Amino acid sequence: MQLKFLINFRKLFYVLSLFSISLCFQLIVNDVNASTLFVLQQDSTSLEKDIENEVDPSGAFVDTVVFIDKKIFTDKPQPISERSLKDISLSPFISLQQLLKAEKAGLTVFESTGEPGTNQHMFIRGISRPLLSKKDSYQSQPLVVLDGIPLIGEHPFSYMIQSYDLERIGTENNLLANIDIDNIESIRVLKDLSTMAIYGPMAANGVIEITSKRNVENNDRRISLNAFSGFVQRPSVTTINGSYENNFRKQFYDLYTTNGKYSDDDNYPVYLGDSLNNAYYGVSNWSDSYYKTSFQHGINGNISGGGPRANFQFALGNIKNSGIADQTQVERYNARFLLNLKPVKWLTFSSMINGNRLDRDRNRNLSSRYAMMSYFPDLSAPLAPNKEIYDSYLAQYDNSFDDNFSNIVEGYVNLKFEFEKFRFQSRIALDYNESYRDVFYSRPLMESNSFASNYYGFNQRLIFDNVASYDWMIDDKNTFYVEAGGKLQWDAHKYNYAYAYKGVNDFIKVNLLDNDPRNGDNPNYLNPTAFPRQLVYKYLDRTRHNLVSFHTQGTYNYDKKYTASVLLRYDGSSNAQPLARWLFTPVVSLGWNIKEDLLKDNSSLQGLNLRASAGRIGVLNQYDDFSQGPNYTAQVGFTGNVTVPGYNGFAVLTRPYESGWVGYDIPWAYSDQANLGIDASWEKRGLYASVDVYLKETKNQLIPIPSLSEYGYRYMHSAGMSVQNSGIDISFGGNIIENNSKELYWKSGLNFSFNSNKLTALPNGLDELVIDGRLLKVGERIDKFWLFENQGIYLTDADVPEFDGKKLAYNGITMKAGDPIWKDANNDQQINEDDRQLMGNIMPKVSGNWYHTVNYKNWDLNVNLFFNLGRQVVNQEMSNRFNFINNEGSKDLSAIKEITYWEKRGDYSKYPIYNPWSSVNAYQTDQDLFLENASFLKLRTVSLGYKMTDKMLSFLNEGASLYLYVTANNLFTITPYSGRDPELVNFLGYDNGNSHIIPKTYTIGFKLGL
Amino acid sequence: MKNKIVLFFVVLITSSSCSSMLDVDSTRLVSEKNKWTSLEDARASILGVYALTKAALGDYNAHWLYGEMRTGEFISPNRQDLKAIGRNDLNASYPALEALSNWRRWYAVVNSANTFLERIHEIRAADNRYTENTMEVDIAQARFLRAFAYFYMVRIWGDVPLIASSREGNFEDMPKEDGNKILAWVEQELLAAGEKLPYRYSANDEQQQGDYYNENSGRWDGALVRKVTAYAILAHVAAWQSNYADAAAYSKFVLDNYSKASIGYISTSTLTNANGFFFNKNINHLLGFNYDWGHVESSFTGHIEELTLAAPVVDKTVPDMYLPKEVILDVFDEMSDERFSIDTLGNPVTENYFRNFNGRYPIFSKIKCIQGGIADPTFRIFSSATIITRLEDVTLLRAEALAALGESNGAILLLDEIRERRGLEKYTQAVNGDLIDAIFLERQRELMGEGHRWYDLVRYNRIKNNDPDFVNLIQSGGIYWPISKDIRNQNKKIVQNDYWK
Repeated sequence: MQLKFLINFRKLFYVLSLFSISLCFQLIVNDVNASTLFVLQQDSTSLEKDIENEVDPSGAFVDTVVFIDKKIFTDKPQPISERSLKDISLSPFISLQQLLKAEKAGLTVFESTGEPGTNQHMFIRGISRPLLSKKDSYQSQPLVVLDGIPLIGEHPFSYMIQSYDLERIGTENNLLANIDIDNIESIRVLKDLSTMAIYGPMAANGVIEITSKRNVENNDRRISLNAFSGFVQRPSVTTINGSYENNFRKQFYDLYTTNGKYSDDDNYPVYLGDSLNNAYYGVSNWSDSYYKTSFQHGINGNISGGGPRANFQFALGNIKNSGIADQTQVERYNARFLLNLKPVKWLTFSSMINGNRLDRDRNRNLSSRYAMMSYFPDLSAPLAPNKEIYDSYLAQYDNSFDDNFSNIVEGYVNLKFEFEKFRFQSRIALDYNESYRDVFYSRPLMESNSFASNYYGFNQRLIFDNVASYDWMIDDKNTFYVEAGGKLQWDAHKYNYAYAYKGVNDFIKVNLLDNDPRNGDNPNYLNPTAFPRQLVYKYLDRTRHNLVSFHTQGTYNYDKKYTASVLLRYDGSSNAQPLARWLFTPVVSLGWNIKEDLLKDNSSLQGLNLRASAGRIGVLNQYDDFSQGPNYTAQVGFTGNVTVPGYNGFAVLTRPYESGWVGYDIPWAYSDQANLGIDASWEKRGLYASVDVYLKETKNQLIPIPSLSEYGYRYMHSAGMSVQNSGIDISFGGNIIENNSKELYWKSGLNFSFNSNKLTALPNGLDELVIDGRLLKVGERIDKFWLFENQGIYLTDADVPEFDGKKLAYNGITMKAGDPIWKDANNDQQINEDDRQLMGNIMPKVSGNWYHTVNYKNWDLNVNLFFNLGRQVVNQEMSNRFNFINNEGSKDLSAIKEITYWEKRGDYSKYPIYNPWSSVNAYQTDQDLFLENASFLKLRTVSLGYKMTDKMLSFLNEGASLYLYVTANNLFTITPYSGRDPELVNFLGYDNGNSHIIPKTYTIGFKLGL
Repeated sequence: MKNKIVLFFVVLITSSSCSSMLDVDSTRLVSEKNKWTSLEDARASILGVYALTKAALGDYNAHWLYGEMRTGEFISPNRQDLKAIGRNDLNASYPALEALSNWRRWYAVVNSANTFLERIHEIRAADNRYTENTMEVDIAQARFLRAFAYFYMVRIWGDVPLIASSREGNFEDMPKEDGNKILAWVEQELLAAGEKLPYRYSANDEQQQGDYYNENSGRWDGALVRKVTAYAILAHVAAWQSNYADAAAYSKFVLDNYSKASIGYISTSTLTNANGFFFNKNINHLLGFNYDWGHVESSFTGHIEELTLAAPVVDKTVPDMYLPKEVILDVFDEMSDERFSIDTLGNPVTENYFRNFNGRYPIFSKIKCIQGGIADPTFRIFSSATIITRLEDVTLLRAEALAALGESNGAILLLDEIRERRGLEKYTQAVNGDLIDAIFLERQRELMGEGHRWYDLVRYNRIKNNDPDFVNLIQSGGIYWPISKDIRNQNKKIVQNDYWK
């Protein structure tokens, strides 16, 4: 059934592609004499013009989707400081996060792996809650709005049935890979309340607003075809083998043992014990099979036509991104259709549908596989570094499959009624995405046990939205705009998940059920047939969230000089408790056009604006548990066996001891924000500058406080955490070189932002809190590491200081020679958790990019550098490497040796040779020995393009354009970090070494407009 | 103008009919108003207490790490955390040790029982299918499980807070209570529970009439606590306090009445078969928490098999813990022991308890309920029940009590009851030495791998008082575990146990 759909979808896609290509061809051949409207945006100046046009309220079809905030600062020079979308679109990236990384001040993207199509997290103006687990990063994501549709993402509720906080079950596809940049007119990052509050509480973490290219509406037609092809370059790595590892370990044995054994029951790993074993001691050339140079491509066709009364746009696209490691890749098929109709003068109908399919080939990491299976096979013999052996291991995958795909559809139908100055707009919007992952691992892959799992899940959002507005021109100078709206939103998330072990053979790869009821007397009806019934695990879960919002907004403008706007919102959420279901939030925005007011005669100054906003926005609860107050559930599992549903075959109900006590006293959380901004631009050299200063405080937030242990609970969920974010976003730039004819110029701009966060309050008047190995302390940042300060090594037992005749002890364990010197930070003459100190920070203090555009005649060269400064990483991979004694027998995820264990990484010489057998756990991760400065500067993009002259294109229709380009991405990184890449860290700021590096890519492409 | 009025009207209508939209009943949990209303809620709640007890015992294989690993007799080849437990280095920094010094899971048992005892009357009032008799039996089980949780905690931590109400909405940090006071309370609770508990369920017991929750006895045998269970644990509570007079009395009740519960002594083969005594639930489980294969409850962890089994029993090269050859020979020092014995050439006569005896790691394989009780080495999922006590344990405990009280003849009779079933000759002082030693040695052999050994050692040394190191450990509180830092961070009234400061 799923397979059928897949085939059908592909078929449809190919048919449509053929259709559109033939259409294009016909148009070209027939030389349809159409003066195309489509102009390739050559640089940001022309883009600015486009945007200004868009904002111009005179056009009949401007704002297919009306957003009121544009009314406030119509004269603000729009994306003043950013690279144009065309420049961004020269990179072959598939996801929105990748496209926006290094482009927008105030937006931080965590591209924590180079594996294509995976989830990436982004944060606008920092984080407003500590990231303690994966679900916190889900909760901190900005809202992405595509043509007015707030997109729905995955819900982290499935972590309830997962033993490890690793990948979410399901596809883990990046659902924001659903946007083809070539179809997009503009992308705005909304960071302050004046623009984002209109989206309500979903917008509390900021908004990324994406607007599609508008339809042609002047009885013309536009055809564009964009395509690229390129490759990702295999990295060069240094491989190691068992002999290298053995020598590395030998130094510890030499130092701390007399006969090669630390104790009688010490056990040297077998795979390193035999130097004649060619599998481990032979040539280490696994990387030839693991790392590959691979090709990728993209193609997008867009056709639009029609007149003012009826027009359309149709686009098709296909893009493939490839990884350099483990044969990973992601491919997207995209189809999009927009239709606008204006049957009568006062009615506009507009609609859009955007369909995507994402197919992703995932990595074959052991840790991901074992975590999914919740089963650890015997880990005593890791994968061997020899290519032949590794190849034979990979061959075992041939009999397995891992189908991982998502279908994503968004659409809206919009009716706009206009009666002179009165407008009414009614809209139904739907966002639906479904994910399938069907897995079968054949027997040889895991100690002759096969494994099958099937996941189906969807996320769905339905919106019914009505807005009435009125433009009131009091006189020439005084204008007043008022609107009121109501929105109903239904969100639903669901998944069905089943997995099974030990199938009867490797030929039946699907978990089949006996579907013959035999008149109701078949005892095995609906029992699995190919897998033992006792080893089949089934889950389904569903959660809903409804949101009701009302808002009213009034904007007053005096003589295009002063603007004042008030937005009042009233939002109700079904995830809020019944007694605190609704929240009222106001926002006030002010604008002052200084240029218009005071400097009208100053000809060199093009624009000068001052903006200010202040107000409040609600923050939603992520889980419906909180709306219910004290509740009952079945959390009776334990470590490694989390999904126990009952006892003796009966379902049970208990208090939520694992997830924590929820009381009746949970109010809405909200964020108070203030923003002050100034934008200026000058005639001369196209200079511009923009500065925003902000302060926001997110209050009343829920946090699980470890408490009530004597009542069985792991946490008590309490409201009252406040986090303050403050910072500055700055952009400026201009032409460094320009000649008079503008044939040659070099434009350069710098965007950067400072961001800081601070915990200002904890619930119940606490001033510090230890949770999941992190310390949260009022007055400190929320993203600090909490580590021991390492001050060297005790070379002899005598070096260990003595207090009152007692040697210094760590957690009561007397320190000895070979143990690390950890600083006794609180001077209590013992080392324990209280001596860990807050240091470093996960989120960068400064981030930004520096771009250059050099234009000469028809040539242009774009360079974009990006940087993070003031940021640290814990190099967990090195900690694991040195902690081999503990890891060799451990059943921990971090102890699993991937094939990349045989790659030389990091700088071993940085670390002292401690006694790895010591019970103080000398190489534990949580010490500043592994903390490193992870600031970096990267060359994100270099592209060189040539715009064909009209003369060259004379064989095409008039107005045709063709742009040819080559692009290279991720060419170099400058960083003091000793690991592979300072970006490859998880949300905890740890680099565990399991992610793929972000590859260098090389692309050649063209953009054709007809 | 008319149009505008109409449109405003539309806005109003669409906006007003939506308050009910916000009342979404969660499908993922049960809210307060839907709980405590029906018979099924009662069943889900009482079995929830069992499930939480099972979780507390199974988390990080706690029951065996507390009871077996800590003695240092078992050795871990390459798990540093187990090595630390074996050398009583319980403050060492490992997740397993952190979990084992945290008592939260036991208090979840206590809290769920407290909540049950406070709220169950609501179901009696709301659903007349729920009879007074069933409620009494359920209450007795909840009281038993709560008392058992406290007994377990007192053995691990000495003094712990005593909380006998749920205090919901009014939580308060409680200080530690003297362990002996808690045990006195535990004894009262167990006696009260024992009074109401039936000998069997759904078996026309006079204290439990009709089919318990409409299921026949096969569903409940071995899964729930019974009258004799209460007395078996009472005997353990008394013995732990060195109150051997009471221990003898309580254990006598069990030995006099076990047949009413259809319990009997088990053969060596039943004891050691993959689908024998330990598999699933079994009527001979005096107190056991099962992982029923047929109910899809088997698991990878929470079983001693995860720690002890390795090649050739399962496909794992090195066991997490093993008993060295010398220790095995010390313990199984008599010929013809059906559990394990060697011939004159040093080769094992039976392999019921140990496989690979002459290899690098002898594999302790007395308990080996792999999958559905089969001998498939490929997939290490287990379905053995966590056994707290069985008839053989109570018999030897009574022998110990009688021996401690000086009633040697009674003790020897009971000791021989077990010895003969395992193929051994009757006890004689000349061959087997001191009676107390012989009883404890028999306990070690019979109950090996069931989480008794550590507590046996403590009792043994309390009786014998001749191992200065161990006596010192007892006197300084070193037999207890440290209290986890997490607990002490949350509740400032809790101070670390003296020995571990």
